[in-house]
Amino acid sequence: MAEAPSFPGLDLGDKFRFWPKHNEKIYERLESKHAWIEEKRAAAEAAGDGSPEALTTQPSGDGAPLEAEDPLDHQMTLNIGPQHPATHGVLRCVVKLDGETIEKAVLDIGYLHRGIEKLAEHKTYQEFMPYTDRMDYLSPYSNNVAWCLAVEKLASIDVPERAQWIRMIMCELARISSHCLWLGVGLMDAGAVSGFLWTFQQREDIYSIFDEVAGARFTVSHSRIGGVASDLSAEAFRRIRAFTESFRTELGRWEDFLNRNRIWVDRNKDVGRITREEALELGMTGPNLRGSGVDYDLRRFEPYLKYDEVDFNVPTREEGDCLARYFLRMEEMRESVRIIEQCLERIPEGPIRSDDAKQAYPSKEEVYYSMEGMIHDFMYTDVGTVAPKGAHAYHAIESPKGELGFYLTSDGTGRPARMRVNAPSFTNLQGMEYIMEGSLVADTVVIIGSIDPVMGEADK
Amino acid sequence: MPADESSNAPSKSEALKFHYTPADTAISGSEDNPHAKATTHNPAVINAMTESFGDEVIGPVETYANEDTVYVSKDRIADVCRFLKEEQGFNYLADLGGIDRFTQEGRFEVFYNVVNMEAKQRLRLKVRVDEDNLHVPTVTSVYRSANWNEREAYDMLGLIFDGHPDLRRMYMPEDFEYYPLRKEFPQLGVPGSLPLPPQAPDGELTMDPFAAAHGSKPAKSYNEPEIEDE
Repeated sequence: MAEAPSFPGLDLGDKFRFWPKHNEKIYERLESKHAWIEEKRAAAEAAGDGSPEALTTQPSGDGAPLEAEDPLDHQMTLNIGPQHPATHGVLRCVVKLDGETIEKAVLDIGYLHRGIEKLAEHKTYQEFMPYTDRMDYLSPYSNNVAWCLAVEKLASIDVPERAQWIRMIMCELARISSHCLWLGVGLMDAGAVSGFLWTFQQREDIYSIFDEVAGARFTVSHSRIGGVASDLSAEAFRRIRAFTESFRTELGRWEDFLNRNRIWVDRNKDVGRITREEALELGMTGPNLRGSGVDYDLRRFEPYLKYDEVDFNVPTREEGDCLARYFLRMEEMRESVRIIEQCLERIPEGPIRSDDAKQAYPSKEEVYYSMEGMIHDFMYTDVGTVAPKGAHAYHAIESPKGELGFYLTSDGTGRPARMRVNAPSFTNLQGMEYIMEGSLVADTVVIIGSIDPVMGEADK
Repeated sequence: MPADESSNAPSKSEALKFHYTPADTAISGSEDNPHAKATTHNPAVINAMTESFGDEVIGPVETYANEDTVYVSKDRIADVCRFLKEEQGFNYLADLGGIDRFTQEGRFEVFYNVVNMEAKQRLRLKVRVDEDNLHVPTVTSVYRSANWNEREAYDMLGLIFDGHPDLRRMYMPEDFEYYPLRKEFPQLGVPGSLPLPPQAPDGELTMDPFAAAHGSKPAKSYNEPEIEDE
């Protein structure tokens, strides 16, 4: 077993030690793990002379085990997190270092586990909506839409045209907002604090749009099963239009600042590289997959809402390092602006929610001024949408982090028998464990920022 | 509808003839589902699977909302996955997870959501796992990304994946003794199973965060000073 680090200040003595078996198992795993870098090295040796890429990060390239000879005490076990600002939440990385190089990494997640899959089994479909806001809390609107679409597929509910266009606008705003946070925090991790303030200014504008549309800045819960909660006001349209115009210029400024910035490029280039094959094998998703040259975007792969009717590009990059993912996300924001502009042009007039009382909430006018409306509202709150017994359906959207899908199983009641979240951050973090191996400690911070995990989603 | 409609006792669906009664219908709505995708219906792939493995391995196929679900016999799941990956081009595992079908025959299910990016196909495989034998062969040898998903299914439902390289709990600490996503596990948890830090620096550990719901007095983070009535 690896030497567990001792924290003299935190020794609780004979008092309870939290979850002793848990830590023991993690250190055991760290010791017994076959690090990916070892596999890479073995493959390189098998290939012949050993390709330089696989060996660059390794100080002694002969592949000999280093445990036996460590006279200078190079090796240590380091816990990064769970409480560490650079881990973007409560992610714990237990790494085995050889000097500055990470030999092996074990990620420990679950510090934000709330059991939302269990909670969903005890809620009606509509009741569960606010919980989705708190999954990927950087882009709540995408989660709302993902959830609604999954339920609508399960119960075969049609959504009016206008609602679909509204959802698209909001989803793309959520993507920009999420990528803004990724950029700001990524810059701050690399040492540029002012960038954080610039991107947050843009996020603030998006918050005001959400505030105008949904009445909440952050956890919006604006989408409803069968439509959306309320129509966009004229003021909301004006703000969205103003935002698309100003954001383009702002994005151009950021690119001027960063694209050829020596520090930013040096920190990102060739760091955290994954090839196309590795990315597929590790199940990476979203920008992290497209950054390695895989053209997999669910807006194209299985178009939902009206994405098959708008014109946009799916940016991909071949390099697969942090810099590629940076360029890719910047381009994605640009494409999002394009999509929003087309939506604003093409959005039709019409109802914003399904008119069937079994499938969606009635409008507030009906609830306040008619008895049927009130009964329907009451019954929908009490029972809600009912999917046929034995039905099960999976619907995924391209959230800012990747493929966000819900797999729902119905037992014929108003509550899901089983709700399964396919969370993109979860799958991306799994890949990150391997990406970290062989990189430098200082680069961990950049890698975490570039993979862009959200623990609320990964921990469910 | 039940066959004995002529008998005196009304059938259940008639006794509760109410607007919002849960519809106990068989699976329907496959054809006209507005959210159905073209990627999820692949009869050619399923035929190829049946041809290679036979009917003993490839069980019934369900289709709902244009989504195919293929039931595969548990022992051969890794072989079927390898076939799909190597011969059919399903090179990406999108999702894997467990389902608890409490009270039904073959209590647990594991589903595999695999994607073929070139041909734009998505397929769902399912295996049934009996409560008496919770062992499932791992597919990590085929899809490396199944690693954490299988750990999660182990953590949440107690399914044991044979041959998994690192079968630890995913979210819960290793010291936890229950499988929280099973239907019999209470929503508020089992008191004492997961002690939380004390509410005051010198206080006792919080054994039950939902004490009031379990009928006892919740621990306080501070004690109010006693006021004397003199």
